[in-house]
Amino acid sequence: MMGQRVSAHGRFEREVMPHLDAAYNLARWLTRDPDDAEDVVQDACLRALRYVESLRGGGGKAWLLTIVRNAFYDWVSRNRPVEIIHDGGEAAEDAVDADAIDPEQAAMRKSDARVLADALASLPLQFREAIVLRELEDMSYRDIARVIDVPVGTVMSRLARGRAMLRRMPSLQPVQEIMATRRQS
Amino acid sequence: MKCENARLDMDSYADGELSAWRRFAVRRHLDACPACAGRVAEARSLQQRIRAEAPRFTAPERLRASVMALSGGPVARAATRPSRDLRWQWIGAGALVGCVLTIVSWVAGTAALDRATETDLASAAVAAHVRAVLADQMIQVASSDQHTVKPWLSSHLDYSPPVQDLADEGFALVGARIETLDGHPVATLVYRYRKHTVDVFVRPDWLRSRMTDPRTIRGFHVLRAEGGGMDWLAVSDASAEAIAPLLRRLSE
Repeated sequence: MMGQRVSAHGRFEREVMPHLDAAYNLARWLTRDPDDAEDVVQDACLRALRYVESLRGGGGKAWLLTIVRNAFYDWVSRNRPVEIIHDGGEAAEDAVDADAIDPEQAAMRKSDARVLADALASLPLQFREAIVLRELEDMSYRDIARVIDVPVGTVMSRLARGRAMLRRMPSLQPVQEIMATRRQS
Repeated sequence: MKCENARLDMDSYADGELSAWRRFAVRRHLDACPACAGRVAEARSLQQRIRAEAPRFTAPERLRASVMALSGGPVARAATRPSRDLRWQWIGAGALVGCVLTIVSWVAGTAALDRATETDLASAAVAAHVRAVLADQMIQVASSDQHTVKPWLSSHLDYSPPVQDLADEGFALVGARIETLDGHPVATLVYRYRKHTVDVFVRPDWLRSRMTDPRTIRGFHVLRAEGGGMDWLAVSDASAEAIAPLLRRLSE
């Protein structure tokens, strides 16, 4: 019994601890809040500790991020159930309406280094998580598919849609283009 | 290759996810087709912008230490874990050593005081709570599932305490252990409330009228309740108002 505990802790330290930054990064982008992200990671690590024995060789990162994502969705359904229901993409579709934004404001925001981060944070969950795993965690389509539990083809289409939404965000457009769009309408 | 076909592969090409053969075919098409080449350039520039401008958050040292503690690994090892950045490793180690020294001197300093006041059950409960936190032995059975925790407790005690996970109300059950208080083994449910840990000691016919009012001992709040055939005693560093609802629900 004691030996098992020790080996579980040993495995936890070897397989899980090296990916703690990745776990926190994903949780942070999903919750968009540092405290909530810590809660989610704590919960995920408790779960990981319980199941670490069942992890078979390698793939520790995708395995842990799968648990983090599950922990997040449990957390969000307890704490912000509205977010899942209403996060089907309408918010981002609203945000890409060029008329909804003041060009001057857009110009000011453009100088702000946070523009892209804000745009990414405003994407609906399913697109945000795909892009974060791909670009910030540098994961392959296959690993992302494993983490978010969908076929590889779905990963590709979510990445494509998420990227298209980002490209259309007014805050990421050159100011002239927004002005041009305005004049046309 | 036609544009139609190439377009399907464009993102995968920019992501470096194509097989060598497809990659070759797409590259040949891009050489001949400025429109598609522009598309790939656009995809790459967005990628680069995301990677350069969207922060990759790193776990705070506090989280790292608490996760290490969670795993039951000795706290000091968190400081010696090989880390990519030597500087942070040293800062982390320094912070941990500082914490450990503070805790040790605090414990030593208050030990004499403890001896004088521990006659009282509330003090004993606080001492048990602090001891568990410091020794990192909060949890003997880790589970948020009441159907796992309850049988475990029953099998270690001569009574079977009611166990509820109240995560919906902000009190997430994280596990349980057994403490000896007042010479009796006492079921101890461990809840997480925001950043706080709450110990709930539960035993039938135990407190009687020995303790009625909420108390604060060394900054820890102690509350009691009766109900469900059990006596309940909660200890936490969260405010008494915050943990009162937990005790109320458990003793209903």
